[in-house]
Amino acid sequence: MAVTSGELNSEQIERTISGLPIKAVYGPSDVPVDSSGVTALPGHPPYLRGAFPEGYRSKPWRIFQLSGFGNPEDEGERIRYLLEKGETGFIMEHDRMTADHLYDVDHPEVISRWEDVGLSGAVQLSARDTALVVEGIDQQKYFAHPGGAVVQHAPFALAAYWTVAKRRGVDIASLTGTGQSDFFLTYLGCITKQQIPARDGLKINCDIIDFCAKYVPKWVPVSIAGYNGADTGLNAFQELGSVFACAIEHLDETVRRGNLPITEVARSLGGMNFRVGMEFMEDIAKLRVARKMWHDLLTSRYGITDSRALKLRIHVVTAGSSMTYQEPMNNIVRGTIMALASVLGGVQSLGVSGYDEALSIPSEEAHHMSVRIQQILMHETNLPKVVDPLGGSYYLESISQDLEEKALGFLGDIEKEGGFIATLDSGWLHGKASDNQYQIEQAILSGSREVVGVNVHVGEGDPFNVDGFQGADDVFERATKRLTDLRRTRDSNAAMSALRDLRDTCITGKNLMSPMLEAVEAEASLGEIGDIFREVYGDWKVPISF
Amino acid sequence: MSNSIGGVGSTSNSGAMFGRVVVAKTSLDGHWRGVSVVARALRDVGFEVILLGMVKDREIARAAIDEDADLVGLNIGGRMQVAERIIETLREEGYRGPIFAGGTIPPYAVRKLGLLGVECFPPGSSLDNIVAAAIRLTSGKA
Repeated sequence: MAVTSGELNSEQIERTISGLPIKAVYGPSDVPVDSSGVTALPGHPPYLRGAFPEGYRSKPWRIFQLSGFGNPEDEGERIRYLLEKGETGFIMEHDRMTADHLYDVDHPEVISRWEDVGLSGAVQLSARDTALVVEGIDQQKYFAHPGGAVVQHAPFALAAYWTVAKRRGVDIASLTGTGQSDFFLTYLGCITKQQIPARDGLKINCDIIDFCAKYVPKWVPVSIAGYNGADTGLNAFQELGSVFACAIEHLDETVRRGNLPITEVARSLGGMNFRVGMEFMEDIAKLRVARKMWHDLLTSRYGITDSRALKLRIHVVTAGSSMTYQEPMNNIVRGTIMALASVLGGVQSLGVSGYDEALSIPSEEAHHMSVRIQQILMHETNLPKVVDPLGGSYYLESISQDLEEKALGFLGDIEKEGGFIATLDSGWLHGKASDNQYQIEQAILSGSREVVGVNVHVGEGDPFNVDGFQGADDVFERATKRLTDLRRTRDSNAAMSALRDLRDTCITGKNLMSPMLEAVEAEASLGEIGDIFREVYGDWKVPISF
Repeated sequence: MSNSIGGVGSTSNSGAMFGRVVVAKTSLDGHWRGVSVVARALRDVGFEVILLGMVKDREIARAAIDEDADLVGLNIGGRMQVAERIIETLREEGYRGPIFAGGTIPPYAVRKLGLLGVECFPPGSSLDNIVAAAIRLTSGKA
């Protein structure tokens, strides 16, 4: 990747991980002139240089860290810790085993691996569990991501969080936060054992979009999120192309349903997520190009003119896959570099992966460090005082144009394959990711891609001792007890009746969010809702084996 | 076409120079990047790789026996107790061959699994070393 030795001249071409050329020197002739947005100021279309004219002067980015493990009380404690350190929104991870698959904790698949329960998020099988997580946290004060990363889990996770708010007497219309319902996670990066088909997933996402517009208007209903595509192997232009292909599916489907004006849908979808890794300049370019592509897509394809819809807001998570297992403290530097790229790219929200990412979920120390990295950038560097400080760089503007061209090409390829969902159903997109995964490993093996502590400067001794965070070990037992208590103490007739309504609604194809909320309010459990989904929607046919 | 990423597809080598590797995930976490890369590298040198995905301990053991595996690979994405139970079950069911593991395995667990004779390849392990281990571990086969 890097030029390491030998004669250097400006003709020598190196390449980024996406295959974009890197010349030794860039000059004025490399800067694009035509309709590229280079000369438009931040806050002006096509927003290449920034969505808002004053950038971080008008609003600092949100410090927004992925968090959660163990019992609901453990997760709540960690969230309160992060908020106290200065996090400005919070994320509630749910236990993968139960949440992703819509299983109660006594499902045979869970029991057979019971020690894993709670390893990567708190077990939340009912609104009562969710209430334990957010105890002592003011839901009206903070922007929240209450879980629902996987598509089929999102309606439950949102309903549980909103139900807790209602029980506290809070009007859910006043809440701010975001859903996830992440197609890239669910159908590309982290394939679950059971999942509703992707087409039904799209239907459910549109249900959430319609529901939020009416009842939770400040909420970002779903997140079009490239992170998991990128960390599974998609390169920068593939991430961009597929993210917008995913957005197109959502826009077209909500238009077809006809419940909301397109501008309103575009506004609600305009909070997107990207991954930033160690390809510093290319990743900065990616964030800038994302804003321009969103603007161009909405204006040219959908005829949208409302600037509030045309301004893309970006959340970045730094690449977990860039964090090394070897000498983990080096990852503090990697986290800082990736966070810096994110800020230079003008993100609205940022999560920095923990230095122990390759070993475990974040320890308290790693979480602390991720917040501090962001705060040091925010307070000590003066960088936030200038919008798009690298704008006009010969190199950055040149690579931004290259990237956009390739991203539009990839978007075209997806459309030729029948659209984003078709490329998930067929495994076409998985094939692209897989090829890149292998190429990256081969490049590390050959040394053409260098990673300190992994293939260069290896084995010189790590003075730090990081052994991985182990979480809590009583999670399964306590979750089982809470579930037993729930079934014993709830009004069973009310729960069963609400579940019947939910099932009927799923069968008719009407919007399922209201009956979902009613079922969760009536103390239905996650697994009971999952049984309905499995019966009505069936299983997605996974296009790959692993 | 798409199956070439994982299942017995175009990249599998029916001429199996080195033998059969049965690979399973120990947890219900479906990140497949690691498994996919390792399976491809093993196939490239002439292993036959059978991918089981997320299945329970008994199913892994049964597959290892039924497929006459020369090597079992575990992709560990959860706690070590689950991996240990799978290893125990493999032995109980009569699988006598070697076992190796990859995934998010923290240092303390690498040491622990090492005591059970399971060689571990945590993140950052070289593909060459993984392939070399597979060849070495299966070299005693008939």
